[in-house]
Amino acid sequence: MRFEFKALTIVVSSWLVLLSSPLLLRAQNLDPAMLLNPQPGTWPTYHGDYSGRRHSSLTQITPQNVGGLTLEWALQTNQNAIIKSSPLMVDGILYFTVPDNVWAVDARSGHIIWRYTYPPNKGHHIGHRGVAMYKGWLYFTSPDGHLLSLNAKDGTVRWNVVVADATLGYWTTMAPLIVGNHVVVGVSGDFDNLPGFLRSIDAETGKTQWQWNSTPPAGTPNTTTGGMTWMTGTYDPELNLVYWGTGNPTPVLNGKPRPGDNPHTCSIVALHADTGELAWSFQASPHDTHDWDAVEVPVLVDRDFHGQPKKMLMQSSRNGYFFVLDRTNGKSLLTVPFGPTNWTLGIDAQGRPIPNPEKEPAPDGRIIAPDEGGLTNYRSPSFDPKTGLFVVDAHPSWSLYFAKQADGEYGWAGADYGVWGKGVIEAIDYQTGKIRWSHDVGKDGSGAGVLTTASGLTFTGDAYGNVLALNTADGKTLWHAGTGGSIDSSPLAYEIDGRQVILTSSGSVLFAWSLPQKAAPPASAAIPVQKIPAHKSSH
Amino acid sequence: MKSFPVLVILSVLAGFVVYEGGESPIYASSQASEPSADKSNAAGAASYAEHCAICHGDNREGNLPAFPPLVGIGRQLKEPQIVELVHTGKGRMPAFPKITGDELTALLRYLSTSAAPAQAANAASAPTSVSAEVAAGNTVFQQNCAFCHGRDTMGGESGPDLTRSKLVIADVNGDKISEVVRNGRPEKKMPAFDIQGAEMTNLVAFIHAQAATAATKKGARKGVDVADLQTGNLEAGIRYFNAKCATCHSATGDLKGIASRFEGLRLEMQMLYPEDAKSKVTITLPSGEVVKGTIAYRDEWTIGIHDENNAYRSWKASKVRIVVDPGLDGHVALFPQYSDADIHNLMAYLQTLR
Repeated sequence: MRFEFKALTIVVSSWLVLLSSPLLLRAQNLDPAMLLNPQPGTWPTYHGDYSGRRHSSLTQITPQNVGGLTLEWALQTNQNAIIKSSPLMVDGILYFTVPDNVWAVDARSGHIIWRYTYPPNKGHHIGHRGVAMYKGWLYFTSPDGHLLSLNAKDGTVRWNVVVADATLGYWTTMAPLIVGNHVVVGVSGDFDNLPGFLRSIDAETGKTQWQWNSTPPAGTPNTTTGGMTWMTGTYDPELNLVYWGTGNPTPVLNGKPRPGDNPHTCSIVALHADTGELAWSFQASPHDTHDWDAVEVPVLVDRDFHGQPKKMLMQSSRNGYFFVLDRTNGKSLLTVPFGPTNWTLGIDAQGRPIPNPEKEPAPDGRIIAPDEGGLTNYRSPSFDPKTGLFVVDAHPSWSLYFAKQADGEYGWAGADYGVWGKGVIEAIDYQTGKIRWSHDVGKDGSGAGVLTTASGLTFTGDAYGNVLALNTADGKTLWHAGTGGSIDSSPLAYEIDGRQVILTSSGSVLFAWSLPQKAAPPASAAIPVQKIPAHKSSH
Repeated sequence: MKSFPVLVILSVLAGFVVYEGGESPIYASSQASEPSADKSNAAGAASYAEHCAICHGDNREGNLPAFPPLVGIGRQLKEPQIVELVHTGKGRMPAFPKITGDELTALLRYLSTSAAPAQAANAASAPTSVSAEVAAGNTVFQQNCAFCHGRDTMGGESGPDLTRSKLVIADVNGDKISEVVRNGRPEKKMPAFDIQGAEMTNLVAFIHAQAATAATKKGARKGVDVADLQTGNLEAGIRYFNAKCATCHSATGDLKGIASRFEGLRLEMQMLYPEDAKSKVTITLPSGEVVKGTIAYRDEWTIGIHDENNAYRSWKASKVRIVVDPGLDGHVALFPQYSDADIHNLMAYLQTLR
């Protein structure tokens, strides 16, 4: 059944009026039409909305009062796994993950409502990005390549389907994208020469609706494998196109067995949401030999580009280039590096960097910028509509890349060693690529993503585990708090009880930050039973 | 905090099973194998359980780094050595002089049996030609380590080749590896892993087995060999050194004998950016007192140093004047200037400084 978005957008606004009354809220239920225009104060998808801008319209916390931001609660998972997921916040409940685990948490207090644990399995437990929600169901990918539909009320499993065969070398970490009744799921797997794909699964039944393959089956002459789809894409309801980034080709560092551009690896692709048919493809790194997945968030922005109104797609790519595309047709509007790069011979007529063959990994080593982790990675950038700034956690870096015959033609097929790197939060002018401001966040870099808010704040982190609030206009620090561990997720904002909360994580702990509550009642006043005053700590 | 027992339906391999979950879920798969007992040698098992298991584990898995595993101890120690150890003790291990006669014989026989079936079961899918510990260690490695260090331990996305690691080569029965695994290396972004008992023993066995295999391959070995880095030109290297490096460094001074301290890839990486180098810093306090040392910590708000007596001291960064020696910046400034030949030529020269 085709999902009729245009008809729905007409009624969405009237629904929002109804839903704004708390009495009418249906607990733990997310109608997919809501995703077209999320209620302010919720965070119903990985990116917060379909655009991937990771921008909150909440304005309670401002550059003027952010200095008073304080800890509302913290939640310890007591797991070794580092939190890399971006929680959802729907109807006052947060849903977040680490590999094999999903938690539902009261967004008001931070207490755990339920926890689901997937059975021991042999998949890669490298990280997990979060869940997706459709009606009263959550969608969770497992390290061994399954997709599970869980009841949002209690974490019980409704169904469990295999998305990718873990015995071949696939695994899954990503938060699916919900479009209508489609659960769009991507896969990981570049240890083996395997084709990448993106699959749409029926949200109710778990049946496959369509599959798009980024590369042909292994063994097809003169082609490549790879092109994994391990990050959550974005969606334009008007064009009914899903936008997705694809990963590196395989073998990874040895390009000799796979001559040519290696489509559709290291690419940004537009697919029809109901069929998976390819509308267009833009290759960020033709013939990649440095593991620079182009899976970073394809951020959708509608505004003027050099005086012309445009429907744009922006990506700060792992290979070091900032791309602006016309997302109706995939044509390049701007290609410009946002940090040191030394691997190209220039930009071709289509706006693609031209790889320098001399900079392919070699037996005696090649010095390459950026390093294998890239000038940025999976943590989200943010687009701030007010300033027109694209804010990204960048990682200027240098490394050595090696490949020789003994490294073979399978999987990694080479070696790379990072030599030096640091972290810088950069604010990019999307029309020129010029860096308006940059803010150092320390040696080797930060793993924190970026959130901007409509009040002019940028939330991110530094290499030492400090959460930072920066002024979006100039990048100056306005507030910070040490969290005692590495920050490896992207912040988000939500509202509860009329208060704006900034949610961050570090290590295995979630932190909820808000402005102090209004003056507490005098100590002699009766304290309601079971209500313990929140412990306040100033930073 | 109250936890809710929830009924969770999971698919396990081909079939579906139902189990009760909660804070401590019970898995169908963990019910499959019981801890082993060598039924033909109940006396040996009983003796082990009474005297040894409290430190060396119920299944001889040990608890590194304090208590070594005893699985396969027969391959490391001869029987008289084991008897002596049991009777006299060693280090923190107490003596058990009363274990003699039939009990001693039974215990020795028990210790000579191979891995417990519980460990072997974990390795059901592994080749049968390798030992059970190694195969089970392979599983642990694939789940936790392979993403960064590569499936075969020979390097991958961001993690170094473990078969060429000095720490792995120096490790004895996991004394060094277990520490790094459990503590992580935060400064290199390696997380800590909660791997204990038999899992750690198996993991260590697998890494050592891979290192042994790699060492037999010699010239056909994967990864970066010293021989791979010999493509530079000595004369050109000397010229480059004199032009770019000699302002700060001297072949007869700070770099004297550098090639004896480092070789191959490590030398090249040290040359490009000295990994553990600490920036020198001068701090002027509001009182006018001047403190010199090396930077131990620095974010936007705090400066921490080790002073000339190696004492740690810190200040609010806004309250003191901080002057950092720009020495290391020179290395960073050179990155965009290097050609690959420059680096290979410099290597040719530095390798002569023995």
